[in-house]
Amino acid sequence: MHRLLDILASGIHDTKNQLFSAESLIAGSEAKHQIDLFEIRYAIEAAADRLSRTLAAYQLMRHGAQLAVVPAIVSDLCEEVGLAQKHHLVNAGISLTIDCQTFDDWPLDRDLVTDMLNNAIQNAGRFARCAIRLSAFVQDEELVLRVEDDGAGFSTLPPAMGTGLIVAEKLAALHSRQEHHGSLHLSNGSALGGACFELRLP
Amino acid sequence: MTDYSKKRFLVIDDQPQARDALRTVAQTLGAFIVEFAANYQDAIYRIRNNVPDIILCDYILGEGRSGQQLLEELRRFKLLADETIFMMVTGEQSYEQVVSAVELVPDDYIIKPFSPDKLLLRLERIVAKKAFFADYYQEKRKEEYARAIALLEKKRNSEAGRPYRFEILRQQAEVMLISGNAKSAETAYRGILDSHDFPWARAGVARALHKLNRLTEARQEVDRAIAGTPHFFDAADLKATICMAQGEHAEAQKVLDEVAKKTPRNYLRKRLLAEAAMLNGDSETARSVMADVIAGDTMPGAVSAEDRLALARSHVNASDKISAERVLVSMRDVEVQNFNLAEQASFVALLAICSPERGKPRFAGLRPALLSTDLSTTIRLDVLRAALSVGDNPLADTHCEKLMAGPEAKKAFSTIRSQYALHGREKEFREIQKQVAMQRIHHEVEAPGASA
Repeated sequence: MHRLLDILASGIHDTKNQLFSAESLIAGSEAKHQIDLFEIRYAIEAAADRLSRTLAAYQLMRHGAQLAVVPAIVSDLCEEVGLAQKHHLVNAGISLTIDCQTFDDWPLDRDLVTDMLNNAIQNAGRFARCAIRLSAFVQDEELVLRVEDDGAGFSTLPPAMGTGLIVAEKLAALHSRQEHHGSLHLSNGSALGGACFELRLP
Repeated sequence: MTDYSKKRFLVIDDQPQARDALRTVAQTLGAFIVEFAANYQDAIYRIRNNVPDIILCDYILGEGRSGQQLLEELRRFKLLADETIFMMVTGEQSYEQVVSAVELVPDDYIIKPFSPDKLLLRLERIVAKKAFFADYYQEKRKEEYARAIALLEKKRNSEAGRPYRFEILRQQAEVMLISGNAKSAETAYRGILDSHDFPWARAGVARALHKLNRLTEARQEVDRAIAGTPHFFDAADLKATICMAQGEHAEAQKVLDEVAKKTPRNYLRKRLLAEAAMLNGDSETARSVMADVIAGDTMPGAVSAEDRLALARSHVNASDKISAERVLVSMRDVEVQNFNLAEQASFVALLAICSPERGKPRFAGLRPALLSTDLSTTIRLDVLRAALSVGDNPLADTHCEKLMAGPEAKKAFSTIRSQYALHGREKEFREIQKQVAMQRIHHEVEAPGASA
């Protein structure tokens, strides 16, 4: 049907399998020799994330994406983002705190939302001085996921948006409940003094 | 934390390199026992012989098979207890679309590449979830449905149940449906849809409505479930089943034919396709598909007496009495003696049609039972045809009346009409139709008074 899309998707699929082989070999070596090669594995996963994001962006722009919504446990999602990012940030002298105020599960596209948060934290990591906070809570029947940093904030508002943010905004809006749609808000209203990335999902 | 050194892992993947990678990851978690399965058959063989604690299964298994199909087959043959962990592993983002739509899902899925830590986190959560639902799984397995639902209700109102709200509602709805409480199941699924339009919940509504014989509504709901989720194949099966109940056999066959092309080795679907083709009068397709099922479904015990009877029936439909007889006489006497009444009824009826001298006396011998027993639509149709062909019109008329007055009248209608026409009994058929209609009106007039 979408031949080009199929070719891209299958190439990316193969590449991710290769990257998984590489990552597992490294993990095996770490266990065997008791060494820490986390940064290499982090780089591998970041590369795989980029590929997935590129495919998602292509799909969204060309064909209109369809979400894969599942009930996801919000605290698990936050914990997983923390697991993916914390160690790397610590190596860069930045602490990541996670503050999840909700115990419930929430219908959302787990992998896309995880990727958006990972991406937001990676961006924040480039500008933060020493702290980033990921928080989650429910407000006005919306799930709010917020990434804040203590950097200088966006130089202009609204900020110039790269592909990642444009895609994030569209994907947020695709989340809907009855007539209510999700949204993305970028501001300098961070409690830590810097930029604030806020995703609201109905 | 769970002690993974005591757990038995099974890694299922057709690619050796990927199997090694998964084993390395499992070993990093402390696993000692990691078995491999290189393909679908091998996986089933190993799981059947010795159920592992944790299954890591790749979504793409080669040879036209998928991990999703394996999962469905394992559940179908009850080879996978609720306590066993089944984790789908995939580099394919499209699996997310599958898992968000279908009714039968693994405990979780994880996208490659991933770190051992991430797998550990996911496994720990599954362990926690299974511990939370442990008492419920036991009641469900014992088919103590009322108790199972009560346990879920208690969990739903508990603080510890908050992360599992949707899972609890989903399980409740499923148990209501299997235990025959379709009305409650419909309400439960609609409750889930209020939060989000999950295709699996929409299909659940359609299943409940189908059981309640509210066919037009069921059809609308299943069409909505399918719209936008073309990979939700089970919903296509459900749609075809509803179409058949509505008497729309051509549409049923079309729907199944399209999906069966995409899933060439799903033999449950092919059985359904054969049934639709038969009802649709396409006996050639019916018999080639049934022959394919019997040759291809290599799962031990999968090909049943019912399947071979279906093959014989499709030969009868194609007016190939020789092939039909060959299928029937290939069943050994010991086997036939162990048939249940429904299978015996079909067997003697089909034999009476294709080989009167062999079948007629046996059919006559079973007559008292055939008159008094409640039989399914397919079996009744066999009996009706045989009765017409041996000239036992009272027996044929009895079953005709039962079918026309029953909930599956629309499904059976075209077959009955053509059989009565074949034997020059159109007038008698119209007479039975009229009687049934009169009885229905009479019943409806009487009903309000009776219930008051």
